Amino acid sequence: MNKSKTAILNRRTVLAAAGAATAALAAPRILRAQGKELVVGGAASHKNFVETIIAPVVEKKFSCKVVFEGSRSLVNLEKMQKNKDKQYLSVVMMDDPVMIPAVAEGLLDPLTVAKVPNLAALKPGTVHMDGMWCNYLQPWLGIAYNPKAMKTAPTSWADAYDPKYKGRVILPSLQNTEGLANLFMAAFLATGKPMADAQKDVDAGFKKLVTIKPNLLTAYTQMPQAYNLLEQGEGFMISSAISQVALERKAAGAPVDIAVPKEGIFAMPSGVALVKGGPQPELAAGYINEMIGPEIQAKLSAATYSLPTNKDTPVPAGAPTNATIFGINWKFVADNRADWVKRWDRDMAM
Amino acid sequence: MTPKSAPSPWRDPVALLAAPAVLYLLVIYAFPLLWLFMKSLTGPTGFTLQPYVSFLGDPFNWRVVGNTLRVAAWVTVVCFLIGYPAAFALARAGAVLQIVMLVAIILPLSVGAVVKAFAWQIVLRRDGIVSQILVGLGFWDEPQRLLFTETGLVLGAANIFLPFMILPIYSVVKLIDPRLSEAGATLGATPLYRFAHVTLPLTLPGIVSGVAFVFSMSVSMFVIPSLLIGDRFQTLSTLTGRSFLLMRNEQLGSTTAVILLVLAVAIVVGSTWLARRIGGSTT
Repeated sequence: MNKSKTAILNRRTVLAAAGAATAALAAPRILRAQGKELVVGGAASHKNFVETIIAPVVEKKFSCKVVFEGSRSLVNLEKMQKNKDKQYLSVVMMDDPVMIPAVAEGLLDPLTVAKVPNLAALKPGTVHMDGMWCNYLQPWLGIAYNPKAMKTAPTSWADAYDPKYKGRVILPSLQNTEGLANLFMAAFLATGKPMADAQKDVDAGFKKLVTIKPNLLTAYTQMPQAYNLLEQGEGFMISSAISQVALERKAAGAPVDIAVPKEGIFAMPSGVALVKGGPQPELAAGYINEMIGPEIQAKLSAATYSLPTNKDTPVPAGAPTNATIFGINWKFVADNRADWVKRWDRDMAM
Repeated sequence: MTPKSAPSPWRDPVALLAAPAVLYLLVIYAFPLLWLFMKSLTGPTGFTLQPYVSFLGDPFNWRVVGNTLRVAAWVTVVCFLIGYPAAFALARAGAVLQIVMLVAIILPLSVGAVVKAFAWQIVLRRDGIVSQILVGLGFWDEPQRLLFTETGLVLGAANIFLPFMILPIYSVVKLIDPRLSEAGATLGATPLYRFAHVTLPLTLPGIVSGVAFVFSMSVSMFVIPSLLIGDRFQTLSTLTGRSFLLMRNEQLGSTTAVILLVLAVAIVVGSTWLARRIGGSTT
């Protein structure tokens, strides 16, 4: 008796749960039908700043609702590929390397000054492939170090090669985006050519990079591990570290700081683009325009320890002001990366 | 023929009890595996062996295969050397002590490999406890780092897989009648002779399954090497993971996965067969 009662209750619970789940899944559609709504795809890590910094401004100005779908760059690409005939995303925020296949498959609509007036105020080198996408932020790459282990901060990318740091240097693997900076910087140090040319001389880069091996503590693929090693003092520096990550650790009180080497810093890719055939195209352009406008740029760059891309926006406190900023040729990277990773495995093996 | 002969397995209704498990494994495991295998043999123009030819034609990949097998073999050896005596201690312990020991062996399994790998990172670093002990005992002149070395990887992985060696051996040792060895002694057999001719053959089934467990788990481990030795030491499974996750090269990924699977199955089946033969000849 008792047993059958439990069974019925269970069935009821399951049915109720199923009903609730359907309602939850259907809810966005109902909302969408009610008024102007803009669906933005981005990385899960963007959710916080989109919802607290960008959305309030955009929603107030255009009296609309911004719905943010946070996943990963590659997932956004797949969402656009699968819905090519009937896009539901209007704006995508993805890493530059993923923008390239999206352009190749005709999934993006170019940005123009007519649609997005603030495009004219962007720093040079932040609008890509004839306006297919632009960068709304530049997190930057420098050298993270442990100030307890290193009395003086590193001043040059060449410091990581100094024999006095035997076994103390941590590099990102070449399969991590931030790892590419080391290869290009090695080519720059070895050839003395300007960065735009040096980054094409990958062979010189590898030959230089191999000489860092005695200094290598490890090449990481999992970033938390690298910071763990740095904060414990086993590693002294992470050569090419993302400003946002290092400075967040510093703000949390960890013995971590980031140095701006004299050669310059690398700008990391944070791109935004219009989805071709997406709903509410004017609203989507308005969203991007606000995103790269001075008001949001100032808040966004401070909150993410990154550089603004709008040239009229002051650099936030604590960020490098006069450093040379190197860009990365993502098309060249996309075409060659698999071969580089292969060579990295061979040349950098223990 | 004889009236007592068991019914054919196909007619035995008890065999039906395995049906859910068989179905589950077919759908979740066997079919995807077959699909993976087919994928590695399919090129743009149909059937091809090219992925295997080009993979095996590259000396670097042989080094990767060597890394994979060497580390797995060492992990298995270390687990055996530590686990075999431990299994006896466990089997012959009194009731309370046995429960304490079993909990001590099984409870760490609930801590994920990632957490353990991070803990080993602290233990194996230059000013870690292992280095301090070895310097203190005079084995090392100055502190050294074991982290990101093959030794460190083997130690860490052996710790994580040890229960899978102890438990199968324990379950066999538990069933051995201790009087058998005593009987050997009354007949004048030396301890070493009794071990080699009585105890070892009787525990062989446990050893075989322990070795099979530990070897196949350590040959395919992915998270542990990526945390304890890093990107500079590639194994077949780290190569497979990267091919799928980063390079999006499904063909290379499925090729390395199939090679790993074939090697692991061949070694486990081969060593089991060998052990049975040796075991058969000594008993």
